[in-house]
Amino acid sequence: MNEFIIVLGWFGLYAPVALGAIGSSWGCTLAGSAAIGAMLDSDGGYGRFVGVSLMPSSQVIYGIVIMFTLQRPDIDAANGAALFGIGVLSGVTMFFTGIRQGEVLASAINASKAKPEIFGISLAPAAVLEGFSVFALVFALVLAGSIPA
Amino acid sequence: MSRSHQYIMLVTSLPHLGKMFTRKEVPISEFRLKQRLSMLQPEHLRLLRELVEVTAWAGVARYNRDSEVLRRAREVIVDLKDYPDLQHLVGARMETRTVIAALRRRREDQDTAGDIENWGFGRWCGRIAKHWSDPGLGLGNFMPWVAEAHRLMQSGEHIAMERLSLTQIFRQLDHYGMLHEFDFEAVAIYVLRWVIVERWSRYSEDAARERLQLLVTAALGGPSELDGMAADEPPPGQGLFADVSPALQGTIS
Repeated sequence: MNEFIIVLGWFGLYAPVALGAIGSSWGCTLAGSAAIGAMLDSDGGYGRFVGVSLMPSSQVIYGIVIMFTLQRPDIDAANGAALFGIGVLSGVTMFFTGIRQGEVLASAINASKAKPEIFGISLAPAAVLEGFSVFALVFALVLAGSIPA
Repeated sequence: MSRSHQYIMLVTSLPHLGKMFTRKEVPISEFRLKQRLSMLQPEHLRLLRELVEVTAWAGVARYNRDSEVLRRAREVIVDLKDYPDLQHLVGARMETRTVIAALRRRREDQDTAGDIENWGFGRWCGRIAKHWSDPGLGLGNFMPWVAEAHRLMQSGEHIAMERLSLTQIFRQLDHYGMLHEFDFEAVAIYVLRWVIVERWSRYSEDAARERLQLLVTAALGGPSELDGMAADEPPPGQGLFADVSPALQGTIS
């Protein structure tokens, strides 16, 4: 049983990075595709399209931070379950917000191409999703302090 | 390139068409549109060609009888089985044509709907036949614009009639367009809207009068069933839409 909990612990330790990376790559691909398409139809402003399409890359960075925070000299039965719970759930959050952020950024790019004046405000939904990722990050850090070393 | 990314890139590469009647010219040329549509998968290109064929005048003009157009529309609807919103769109378009064809037939002093099953399409055929003498064809609660279309047709305001029918078609496209952002349906609806905008951009009152005269001449010489069916479309060769759809079909074939 202890070995199983230790396996879960390692799983939870790496989950934020792995799931965050998948979410970021997926989100960046969606938003990046929109940016490339928008560049075909625009005479300028390419930089801002590409720039915002990179926004979902933050999820993997948060995942890395969570992983380092969860890292312990020893993963054992005492902390394995906690590492698993915090790591997997925060990873799922990064995964989901990364993809969804890519989708809303694609919509924002498409909409702001037609109405350039809404470019800033169209990023608000993506910023809100970023906020949810930050919530997951911050409270993962807070709870990590309660996990036995 | 996977399907979702393909459609995100394709849709964002297409310029905004804007509101109906607000543009003097299309924001993307036919040549550029062809280039962008080359991103579509072959199967989707085929479906798009069928969709344009059955909804645009140049497509239905090749058929000599209404029954052939109806049969083709039903075939296209079956082919679009994976895209129910496009099926509904084709159905709605055919129903709109049926209503306008009914108004034209009534203006030509046809006493009854006759064999409406051979020239009409969709759920309103029975209602139209039953309320043939009603200005709104009994559809006032469902299509308030029909009574206005009747008035315009009776008063000979053909340009306003054209504008009204295009507005209704554009609304149908807007309705279904709201449901799709980055998928095949979104691309198909964009192309259908482009066809309308392009057609309107070529529109001129002089050409319309000339076209009307030809229509009258043709009607006096024996109106074909197709004339009634496709009354909301201009005839081919009049420069409004004539070279758009064939070229587009060439693109996507």
